Amino acid sequence: MLRGPDARLRLVTGLLSLAVLIILAQLVRLQVVDRELYLPKIEQLQQRPYTLPMPPSGVILDRNGDLLVGNLPIYDVGAEVNLVGNVTTTLRVAHRLSATLGMSPEALFDLLNYEPIPGDENRTVWRPLARGLGPDVVEDIKSLQREGWWWLTLQPKWERYYAEGDLACYTLGFVNMEGHGYGIEAFQQRLLRPVVTDARGPVTIGHVPMAEELALGKLRVYPGTDLVLTLDRTIQAFVEGELRRALLEYGAASGTILVMDPRTGALLASASLPCYEPYAYANYSQTDRTRFTDPAVSQTYEPGSVLKVITVAAALDSGSITPDWSYYDSGRIEYGGILITNSDRQAHGWQNLQGLLDSSLNVGAATLAAHHMGATEFYSYIRAFGFGQAMGVGVANEERGIVHLPEDYRWTDSYLVTNSFGQGIAMTPLQLAASVSALANHGVIMAPYLVAERRYPDGNVVSTVPHRWSKEPPISPETADFVAELMVNTVDRRYTRAVVPGYRVGGKTGTSQIPIAGGYSPSEVITSFVAFAPWPDPEVLVLVKLDRPQNERHLRWGTQTAAPVFSQMAGRLFTLLGIPPTDFIAESQR
Amino acid sequence: MSVRWQRRTHGVSVRQEKIDPMTVRLFALSIAIISVLMALYLALTASSVRLSVRLWSLHNEMAEIQRENGRLGTEIARLSSIPVLIERSVRLGYGQPESIEYLIVGGP
Repeated sequence: MLRGPDARLRLVTGLLSLAVLIILAQLVRLQVVDRELYLPKIEQLQQRPYTLPMPPSGVILDRNGDLLVGNLPIYDVGAEVNLVGNVTTTLRVAHRLSATLGMSPEALFDLLNYEPIPGDENRTVWRPLARGLGPDVVEDIKSLQREGWWWLTLQPKWERYYAEGDLACYTLGFVNMEGHGYGIEAFQQRLLRPVVTDARGPVTIGHVPMAEELALGKLRVYPGTDLVLTLDRTIQAFVEGELRRALLEYGAASGTILVMDPRTGALLASASLPCYEPYAYANYSQTDRTRFTDPAVSQTYEPGSVLKVITVAAALDSGSITPDWSYYDSGRIEYGGILITNSDRQAHGWQNLQGLLDSSLNVGAATLAAHHMGATEFYSYIRAFGFGQAMGVGVANEERGIVHLPEDYRWTDSYLVTNSFGQGIAMTPLQLAASVSALANHGVIMAPYLVAERRYPDGNVVSTVPHRWSKEPPISPETADFVAELMVNTVDRRYTRAVVPGYRVGGKTGTSQIPIAGGYSPSEVITSFVAFAPWPDPEVLVLVKLDRPQNERHLRWGTQTAAPVFSQMAGRLFTLLGIPPTDFIAESQR
Repeated sequence: MSVRWQRRTHGVSVRQEKIDPMTVRLFALSIAIISVLMALYLALTASSVRLSVRLWSLHNEMAEIQRENGRLGTEIARLSSIPVLIERSVRLGYGQPESIEYLIVGGP
């Protein structure tokens, strides 16, 4: 029994103090001792994940700034179906939405109709209604949301948009949902794709992250980097048109035309047909996956006689022969256990280097490789010209080609002679074009490239500086100029169907056999022509390759198919590139 | 008679203790300060929430403008694409380059 106010006061004070102590002790326990236990629970209560809508990917432009691949905004529409209402309301909603979403009311009713499981009535159930809708549905859906159908959801997305349809399909390529793909889209996807990170932090009741959260910069949102290519869409479209016409004219199964600037290595056009629609890649994936690999950089072939210019250049540059070298062509040469003959099966008597290229003599090329250079010398030049190595052009799935070297266990002496005229060695059209560009560019191979400029979202612009493919040029300027002059003379003297009026053109044809199981196809060939112009200061190099032309059998030669294609397109191509006629230059310098 | 006896038998009136005015003022002042601080905190929080909502809506607005920009960009690209340009040119009476025939007129 407490007596007196003082005692009661002391008791109350004591109890209050005890309560305060208990509270303090609890606070210490919660915030210090059991901190790790409660922290996640508190965070779960206070914090929510948040993110921003996906910014667009980088666009791909041609060298003049015209759009090749852009971004189209699309929308996915969904609904929290547990909130739609009873069957009557759902029917009304289905009828009202069918016009907006372009779906039948029955299909929409099936999607919207929801029967909750007893005892689970409060569960949120979201269902997608339509995907990939255009921007025109946005206003409709938003007005419906304002009218009270707030359970309708609108999810913005981006879709790649190919402004020129299937133009340069192989070069541009695509990336599928799993991140795999082809062409520049795949090779440069780390640059092109936007960066969006999710963040977690305190949010308001409306799930809006607090300002200080945003200020912390936990949420990283960057659009993709824009790429400016070296391709010119006008030239690309023109070249594709010419290739399409050539395929029809010669009945060829497929073909490739490359246009590059030998002085810089910039690819101005890379056309291969038949093409595919990169925006509809899913239509092909089940049946024809091989269709996506770029024939210009990802498919190899045996180049045939075009390689003779490389053999001649190597022989001259190595000092194995002199420019006035000549030999007696008996029409056959036996080496490494095989017999080599000329393509016309004829003997051509005494021939010099010009005669070797003019008549495209296999025996001459084999003689240079086998009797003058030897395997070590020959293959050191083959490597120096880039065969068997990636050119690093910057597209996905680039092939290295197939070169059998003396150190390979499968290599035999016969490879030396067959390789000298382009058989038994496989390369991509790009590798061949790049190697011949050394002859047009005074001995230097410039690294082929497609991306001229990268425009970062922060405003920084990084331009690609043209550079040499290898530190040391494969051949000297004197050798390159001499062989290039031989090629110009060959076009003037022998390839009348490759002549371009007003321009001095250097070139070499090739007709290569197609390897099949157990040998070569007896009837099908790949014809090609590689040329540069205007001599003596070439500004453009063109490679034309036609696969399996079906014209008259005796006309299935590079001179009869690929060379005329070049001649037909070159005049307008030079005009598009602003290259004045050589004759005009000579006239004005006089 | 002791004081104790007197209290028991006669009772003692409750002592009227005097409250120190300084204590009251201090108490009132502390209550006022706490109230002001709480009001300030609430105002700051409210302002922060308002700012957050505004900032978030600006982010979303920016995204919306990016989408509109993308749509317009693709529309411009479509209208200036090579097939559309060729179609419009043909409609305007221009010919394809390969269909042009040049007439060479001799000088006088």
